[in-house]
Amino acid sequence: MVPINAVFALGIALFFLGLFGVLLRKNLVVMLMSLELVLNGINVILAGLGFHLRSPRGSIFAIFVVLMAVAEAAVGFALILSYFRRKKTYDIDKLNELKG
Amino acid sequence: MTFAIFLLFALMAVFSAVMVITRKNAMHSVLYLAFTVLSVAGVFFTLQAEYLGAIQILVYGGGIVVLYIFVIIIVNLDEVVPGRRKLMPKVFIFAWPALLALQVGFLFLLNRPVPREGPEGGLEFRAMAEMLFTSYALPFEIASVLLLAVLIGAVLVAKRRLSRGSD
Repeated sequence: MVPINAVFALGIALFFLGLFGVLLRKNLVVMLMSLELVLNGINVILAGLGFHLRSPRGSIFAIFVVLMAVAEAAVGFALILSYFRRKKTYDIDKLNELKG
Repeated sequence: MTFAIFLLFALMAVFSAVMVITRKNAMHSVLYLAFTVLSVAGVFFTLQAEYLGAIQILVYGGGIVVLYIFVIIIVNLDEVVPGRRKLMPKVFIFAWPALLALQVGFLFLLNRPVPREGPEGGLEFRAMAEMLFTSYALPFEIASVLLLAVLIGAVLVAKRRLSRGSD
């Protein structure tokens, strides 16, 4: 049997690794990858709670999170492609036209 | 025994997640991301969420990772110019997640773990399907509308504007 605290630890570790990735990296593509890590951490916690509480709701919520991750990835890639076509770079430090 | 397998997959997932955010080459990051995704699928299997594990392998491993690889091939990788950050953004970047992690840790230390409910044994696959298509039928349909909107929106945003001729 898997103790619930180990599942929480794994989920929180993945979540914060992804958060650090989003904040630290300057490459737009790697930032989107780190977002996927965040969503994976959430999914681990949801699946673990569903397993722990004997409820199918954990898996159902995790399926909705996966759906949202797919939508986010598709729109994010469209934005990256559009931005790259305009600017020929994907460094976020160049993304400062609205700075004022 | 299940816990040993869980620990193996969890260590693999955490290791490759660290590699995702530390590699300089984005293509290496994508390959480590695929490794993380498959390890998390293994974690789902040890948690008896078989449907979720299959979805993870099919959608993440088969769809999203391939999409990342295509995007990295399309946008040229060579011109990554790592500039230096100033002190205040650096402090903010490290302090804010650390404070958040501290808060989450305190919440876990202060609260008792929830007791297990129900009998031992595998989750009912049928129960999940019935709940998904009865109690959660409306969110399911809304999700399908969301996917349609994403399909149209992604095509609209990413296509070249031929009529304007400004690019």
